[in-house]
Amino acid sequence: MIKAFVNRWFRPLFIFLAVLGPSVIGTMAGNDGAGVITYSFAGAKLGYIALLTLPLLTIFYAVTQEIGSRIAIVTGKGLGDIIRERFGIRVAFFVFAALIIANFGTIVTNVAALKTASVMLGIPSIPFIVATIIFCFLLITRTEYEKSQKIFLTGMVFYFAYVFSAFKGNPNWGDALKGMFIPDEKMFTKDFLLISIAILGTTITPWGQFFVQSYMKDKKVPIGRLKYAQLEAYIGAFLSNFFTFFIIVATAATLYVHKISLTSGESAATAIKPFAGDFAGVLFAVGLVNAAIIGIVIVSLTSAYAFSEFFGFAGSLDNPYKKEKAFYLNFLISMILAAILVFTPWFSLFRIVIFTQSLNGVLLPIFFYYLLKIVNDKELMGPHINGKKYNWFSIGCTIFIGLAAISAMVIQFIG
Amino acid sequence: MIKTKYTLTSVESNSITSQTLPDGIAEFDSVGMNRIELLTFVLSGRRSTTEPHALTTKSHYIKFGCWIFLFCAYNGLMLYFSELLNRKVFTEDNIFVGKLGDLVFKLSDSAEITKVVVKAKLDPKTIVDIADVVKLNGSIVLKKNYHTKTLEENELYVSKNLLDSQVIDISGDKMVRVNDVAIQNQPILYIAGVDIGLIGFLRWFGLEDLANKLFNRFGIKLRSQFLSWVDIQTLELSRGHVKIKTEQTKLQKIKPEDLADYLEQTNMENIGQVLRSFTLDHAGEVLNNLNLNYQVEFFKRNELKEAAHFMSHMEPEEAADVLVALPKKKREGLLELLNETARNQIEHLLSISVSPVGDIVSTEFLTFDSNVTAKEVLKTIKELGSDYGEIHYVFFLNTDKQMVGGSSLRSVIIQQPDTPAFKFMRPQIEMVSLSTPVSVVWKKLLKYQYNVLPVVDKNRQMIGLVKISDVGELINK
Repeated sequence: MIKAFVNRWFRPLFIFLAVLGPSVIGTMAGNDGAGVITYSFAGAKLGYIALLTLPLLTIFYAVTQEIGSRIAIVTGKGLGDIIRERFGIRVAFFVFAALIIANFGTIVTNVAALKTASVMLGIPSIPFIVATIIFCFLLITRTEYEKSQKIFLTGMVFYFAYVFSAFKGNPNWGDALKGMFIPDEKMFTKDFLLISIAILGTTITPWGQFFVQSYMKDKKVPIGRLKYAQLEAYIGAFLSNFFTFFIIVATAATLYVHKISLTSGESAATAIKPFAGDFAGVLFAVGLVNAAIIGIVIVSLTSAYAFSEFFGFAGSLDNPYKKEKAFYLNFLISMILAAILVFTPWFSLFRIVIFTQSLNGVLLPIFFYYLLKIVNDKELMGPHINGKKYNWFSIGCTIFIGLAAISAMVIQFIG
Repeated sequence: MIKTKYTLTSVESNSITSQTLPDGIAEFDSVGMNRIELLTFVLSGRRSTTEPHALTTKSHYIKFGCWIFLFCAYNGLMLYFSELLNRKVFTEDNIFVGKLGDLVFKLSDSAEITKVVVKAKLDPKTIVDIADVVKLNGSIVLKKNYHTKTLEENELYVSKNLLDSQVIDISGDKMVRVNDVAIQNQPILYIAGVDIGLIGFLRWFGLEDLANKLFNRFGIKLRSQFLSWVDIQTLELSRGHVKIKTEQTKLQKIKPEDLADYLEQTNMENIGQVLRSFTLDHAGEVLNNLNLNYQVEFFKRNELKEAAHFMSHMEPEEAADVLVALPKKKREGLLELLNETARNQIEHLLSISVSPVGDIVSTEFLTFDSNVTAKEVLKTIKELGSDYGEIHYVFFLNTDKQMVGGSSLRSVIIQQPDTPAFKFMRPQIEMVSLSTPVSVVWKKLLKYQYNVLPVVDKNRQMIGLVKISDVGELINK
């Protein structure tokens, strides 16, 4: 009897834990350095109502990640592979170019976040960043898929720093919950609109779509495990926004409540120190470093995977370093270029960040157009094609995301 | 001087310039050569005009590939798919039909183009037989009353199935992606090969000439990377739900271990099709070399009967591993359907799979009574040998079925036919038990320079044997 019980509940759990990885990691990367900065800014500027975006956001995020996982498992291919094979070289090239530029911008933002964090922690920036880049490179090149996955998952632990910071800020949990579920008139301010779109854009990203598929393909998940992978997508989205919740609460409870205005998201940690204590401030910075590292590693990896998929150089974490020189060189170059950009005073960092966030936003509907086309292709997906109701729902999400992205662009150019 | 538009390499004014290259590609320094000299050079199989005698195995591929290219260079008609796509299609009386959407070819060694696909207004997939195509260079002209057709069993599309897909580069031993497809016009229209390099990529943007000029400024010659059709194997063997029957000689040339590696980079559909197109024996070999996940997935997806056929041709150890990983129902179902020899071996393995050495014990062994003669041993090996993957050693038992000795095959062969086994066998052979740790087994194998060691139970009765290659693999993990 006990054996039957164990078999019924624990066997699926073990299988689930075995499959766990790509989606959770990918969604966690939504909370990269750029994300953390955006969320802290949101909390400080809007207070608890910034949380209103979260429930819908989680649903959208889950849907997109689930579609990505499903495609990867059913076809055994990454998004780059499929776009190249289905739409040809020209489309592949433009999509790839757009992706690389957008990714590069994201990497730059994350390296900038590293710089900020080092300032917050009082460490000299340049050596810190160089050391971190070397660390990231070793992380990718010296580990196979299984190990890298474990490392990424361990990195997740650091996000609890934000939970701690949030608690230390003595938030009003009632207000927080209210802010998350009950619409408020302040919703209709320009600030709210812009910031919520920024939150959307930093969570659901083109690279996020590519990454979940490439990583899932690298992991070689068999089709029998599809249900678990889908579950993982939903859980990943939930987990990621779980931490987002605390990041927003941390700054909302301290900065917004005390009406401290933030000049930039970067000074968040220093700003919350007086209210949440020194330690909370340090934790916040540490969390930022962690988020930035995850962002850098995963986004660079996405660019490298994409290059391999679009243009045919084999790329997988399980292949030895020497063989896949192109793959790893790709990775290294983007990181070094980003570091240079961050440190040279010639380029306005702020401009680059804005440009790439907007680019990400504009590209999103384009990517989703292809994504939806693919997931509705019977030849490709066989019986795992989008069900009718789900399809309408996904199309609805895509349109919404597209409109949001475009309005963000418009507002930025006007306002 | 040779004037060509479509050549292997970048064309600079009127000459083809050269460098030696690895793997099935070549270039020539033909300045000053006339046609005859050039042809002779190509047919000689030499890889470079500077290297006197370079007849490598790869040169035979080069010969074939270059032969096509140069031949067409003379006759000026190497077409690239990127250039053909979207060309306007008219009938003989100048009625516009549509634009060229795709080409259909036969999946065979000759890869003839059999049909064209026109994107007509009424039917964007108008398929016209190649016999109805009057002209292909410049705009495309069809006969007045062209017929539309459908695809046959062994036909594929160029754009859908070959272009942009991943193919195995057989001589280069890797997977590559097709950037462009090269089509030859003499004597009939067929696929000469594929372009996998940068130039193929640039051609799609019309940048081929520009890039050539640019790189020439820096003294870099951009080379077109061309693989001839015989050198590649496409893995996209289906059109939707239609499975293609093909001549699989190319695929079968690839070593099973290598093919398994390539297949692992594609998806289950491809793996299934490829395996089903092989003989069961060969499919079994490839299956042996696939990663466990893929093996399990393959058996999950196939019906019991078919699956059992495949499994019977796998090595018992591999089959046992797969069975353990399958759900109970499937496992039992498969076991029932396997042929007797396979089933016995596998069940035996399954029962002993728990011990340390037990994981790699093989059940493929031959035993005889110690009184048999060398002649009888050889006879039995001849009869049963094809059932066994390898036979290094044979073992001899006494009347109580206990291990008393063994002999290498060599030893058996050199004996006088009537010598009884107990005279030529080695009486004191090393044995191990199921509980012997792998490291001890390993040391013994190395110390006594054996290929195999018999595994016995406490009554000295033989359970199985351990092969040095299996132990080595285990240790390497």
